[in-house]
Amino acid sequence: MAAVPMATATPTDSMSRVWSMSSLKSSLPSAVTCRLPSPSSRRPVLISSPSPRLPSFSGLSPVNPLISTGLPGWQSFEDGFKIIDGGGRVYAMRHGRRVPKLNRPPDQRKALLRGLTTQLLKHGRIKTTRARASAMRKFVDKMITLAKDGSLHKRRQALGFIYEKQIVHALFAEVPDRYGERNGGYTRIIRTLPRRGDNAPMAYIELV
Amino acid sequence: MSVNNRDPLVVGGVIGDVLERFTRSIDLRVTYGQREVTNGLDIRPSQIINKPRVEIGGEDLRNFYTLVMVDPDVPSPSNPHLREYLHWLVTDIPATTGTNFGNEIVSYESPRPTSGIHRLVLVLFRQLGRQTVYEPGWRPQFNTREFAALYNLSLPVAAVYFNCQRDNGCGGRRT
Repeated sequence: MAAVPMATATPTDSMSRVWSMSSLKSSLPSAVTCRLPSPSSRRPVLISSPSPRLPSFSGLSPVNPLISTGLPGWQSFEDGFKIIDGGGRVYAMRHGRRVPKLNRPPDQRKALLRGLTTQLLKHGRIKTTRARASAMRKFVDKMITLAKDGSLHKRRQALGFIYEKQIVHALFAEVPDRYGERNGGYTRIIRTLPRRGDNAPMAYIELV
Repeated sequence: MSVNNRDPLVVGGVIGDVLERFTRSIDLRVTYGQREVTNGLDIRPSQIINKPRVEIGGEDLRNFYTLVMVDPDVPSPSNPHLREYLHWLVTDIPATTGTNFGNEIVSYESPRPTSGIHRLVLVLFRQLGRQTVYEPGWRPQFNTREFAALYNLSLPVAAVYFNCQRDNGCGGRRT
């Protein structure tokens, strides 16, 4: 669960692996925002609302003489939940969410996951967004479980999912040695720095 | 000092694949050009053609250290049968100095991963005294643990790792 620590590892910091905000902030330039490996932070990240002193724009609420005077302390009506760009709402809980949709229609989603598992099985470690990495764990584990079984039917099922057949044959050849004793959990996800272009949270996913 | 499971070396699998669990006692700073290497940093091969600048901490100039740089994911992380390719080996580095003051047994070879994302680990060991370390006959199939046991280096005192993948994409799909 560790992300990449951005500050230099000075002797004082390195002696205890617990990061303190003050030492981190003092060593960073003030304009840099970084993702800290705090143990309590969990997805989804809640973006704290900016100072409520700004007057709310009229597109979201009816024109009200109270707002236009810019009275401090008046919160906009969206204050019950956090707003992310594009209208998507982020809650702290996962109630009722069964399948990660990955912002794609179902056929594309399946193709994306097939492609990602193919690449992971081919390269052993790939770097992708966190949502995709955690969505593909299930399918990678499924493929390795098929390979553990090893029968012809399972091999054909794997060939129907993975795009390259050499990878299927290589997988069926080496999985009994490599994962024979391990029960499940064949992947590991390591969170890392966000992508520069769109600040998407990234992660490495690798075969354990 | 508590090393819980959040330690980047444990999470990245370095402790386990390459090293045993150890307590970090010496400061290790590795810099490629302007970038300082932190655990898990992503660097391209074009940036690591030349050897990095390594500075180690410690206090006593009479203590000597050995630096080893290995790649545990050769030839590919999905199939690392040549596990641990030795890229660099420098011995007799006095404390508080850098690798320029040491004895470069195995010269720096810049990593050029062909397939997948490779981890590159830099490990610092403490030597008991000035000792002759013989260069291993070949670079692949290097074992850091055996090397440390052979020269009585015991557990490492510092380690850092970074990730490296080839410059121009994964090379396309070959059926």
